[in-house]
Amino acid sequence: MPKPAVVVENLVKHYGKQRAIDGINFDVAGGICFGSLGPNGAGKTTLIRILTGLIQPTQGRAWVAGFDVSQGPDAVRRAIGVVSQAMTTDLDLTARENLDIYARYYGVSYKERRRRIEALLERVGLTARANDLVASYSGGMRRRLEIARGLIHKPSILFLDEPTIGLDPQSRRVVWELLAQFRQDEQLTIFLTTHYMDEADFLCERIAIIDTGKIVVMDTPSELKKGIPGGNIVEIVLAQDQSLTEDRRLDTLISKLSSRPFVQQVIQKEGGALTDSIRLQVYVTNGPEAIPILMGMVQDEGFGLQSIGLMRPSLEDVFIHYTGRSIRAEEGQKVNFFIGAGVPRRMGG
Amino acid sequence: MITRIFAFVERDLRKFMRNPLTIFSSICLPIVYLLVLGNSFQGSLKNLPLGLVDLDHGPYAKRMIERIRSLEVGPDTVEMRMMRDSGEAEAQVRSGQLKGALIIPPDFSKAVFRGTTPQVGLIVDNTDSVSAAALQQALRAAFSALKLDAVSVRPNRVVPQIRSMELYRKVDYDASIVPGAVIMAIFMGTMTTGAFNLVMDRFLGVHESYLSTPLTKGELVLGIIISGVFVTTLIALVVLGVGIWLTDLRVAAGVSSFLAVVMVIALSAMGLLSMMCVFLARVDHPRIVGLFGGFLNIIFFFPSGAVYPIESFPAWLRAFSKVNPESYAVHALRSILFKGMNWQAVQADLLFLSGFMGLMLLLSTLTFKRTL
Repeated sequence: MPKPAVVVENLVKHYGKQRAIDGINFDVAGGICFGSLGPNGAGKTTLIRILTGLIQPTQGRAWVAGFDVSQGPDAVRRAIGVVSQAMTTDLDLTARENLDIYARYYGVSYKERRRRIEALLERVGLTARANDLVASYSGGMRRRLEIARGLIHKPSILFLDEPTIGLDPQSRRVVWELLAQFRQDEQLTIFLTTHYMDEADFLCERIAIIDTGKIVVMDTPSELKKGIPGGNIVEIVLAQDQSLTEDRRLDTLISKLSSRPFVQQVIQKEGGALTDSIRLQVYVTNGPEAIPILMGMVQDEGFGLQSIGLMRPSLEDVFIHYTGRSIRAEEGQKVNFFIGAGVPRRMGG
Repeated sequence: MITRIFAFVERDLRKFMRNPLTIFSSICLPIVYLLVLGNSFQGSLKNLPLGLVDLDHGPYAKRMIERIRSLEVGPDTVEMRMMRDSGEAEAQVRSGQLKGALIIPPDFSKAVFRGTTPQVGLIVDNTDSVSAAALQQALRAAFSALKLDAVSVRPNRVVPQIRSMELYRKVDYDASIVPGAVIMAIFMGTMTTGAFNLVMDRFLGVHESYLSTPLTKGELVLGIIISGVFVTTLIALVVLGVGIWLTDLRVAAGVSSFLAVVMVIALSAMGLLSMMCVFLARVDHPRIVGLFGGFLNIIFFFPSGAVYPIESFPAWLRAFSKVNPESYAVHALRSILFKGMNWQAVQADLLFLSGFMGLMLLLSTLTFKRTL
């Protein structure tokens, strides 16, 4: 069994009276993509900064690539690559100069540097703009350059803090694909923080949901989804019919559906694309088996069926289940911040 | 280690070279300072408007006026304006049109002839004490010369005669502040490179990237300081060259003089850059650098002797000048540029600057925060 790439034991970080990290324990197997998922202010950035030796924990221990982050931060820094949340490439330097200078920080030889810089520029699609000042780059280009810079010395673990924050959907997709490719080709362990559910779902093999400095739950994305009650959702759209105005008949249907042992919950939803239709979301333990039974029950009650489909729960549902609120609602309460300037430095996300 | 330090130095230098406005400002501001200060102070006061009312019209009054006219054409101390009415002269002093008015009374020549003490009236605006003192001093000299001529039959052998012997070539005031302009260029350099880059990196969050690399504390501090010393020394040498050209200063040439000048500039730059690293070790906003820089410039520059002799300062300011690195840098540069290279003359300056640099380098490494 391969040695874990990251081991965290009872880690605590205080900022005054506030506990940014509140006694967390986990490990990350080598070669996987591990995601720390949570809203802004959950403690994700603090965690990644401790693991990359940028801040000292108040209590507890952590090992990265086999080295203690408190006792041997230099050894940790040599073994890892870091892509920070803020854009940290030098704007007054070209992409090639940025990569060259960083390679020299890690003592990469001249020959290896030349080879590696050209290869990475090619991989991230910046060869044509390699001699342009980074100040002229878009956010997506700059982020790709930062990923290339994080890999310039062939680290065994790449840490990324909110790698696609502030990027447009297309650039986000490009970054995801790049990361997936690099992970495979460079046999990397990736540790990333994100508050995007789709990002965690796309990239991560294992996810820790963090809230208020604590790990709420940790598992593979599929297990996390399975783990919530009513692991499947069957969506039933009832055909428009005059009889639907008779609420009593609908109540009877919902009541009968709810009484079945494999049904956890029935939620009536209105609106959406079909504004006059009525949609029912039925949370069941086994979707494929439940669908024919549910179809029969709808027809028995005399309703016309417009459509019936199986929906898998998303990580958003998982987050709501474990924290009792939506991650988007959390985001809505946060003040926007700029990438690259004025990023909160003491209290990260 | 060397590779990593020079990679960091190269980063800072490339960034600096791509910012022409910073280069321009760093060179131009000390030169503008040299031009403005050199031409506004000029050592002694000049062209002070003096009203002269002659109510005597006698021979000694005429000789008195000739003496004052010689002050006008010689050292340019006064700009004489003949007037008829003492009341009008006083009014013009009050309104600020004149800095002073000299009234020669009707019996002035008679008094000189009789050997009694001749009295003349001098009306000055004593709210401008500097101009008033300069006028009084210049006129007193004219009066004493007149009295000797009038009273003494033969030279008084008891009064010692001063015959001054100048050791070096005359240096005009504007040329004399060239070393000050160089020191100001060094200070400006320390404000726009070195620790300032660190503060900007902190402000932009860029420092997070190199703090997560294997660069050690010592490498980071040396990288910051070496790039700053390199840029600052170049800027200071350019300012020195332009200053010499502008003021037509004849400096003691030679390889050893040039090397000594470079050494003084580099030592001063390294000491001041290290000091800024200590002061700005935890600062993360450029506004603080601006405020702090303006304050430090005054604190270090004016008591350095660059503008006014240290010996004339009050005791507490003289005490500060003794620990002010800029005082030693100014003294050393003056010595080398105006008197020629003499290691003995600058030995103490170089020793102090080296000690200051060593101490500040140590403190900057100790106070540097390697984490966020």
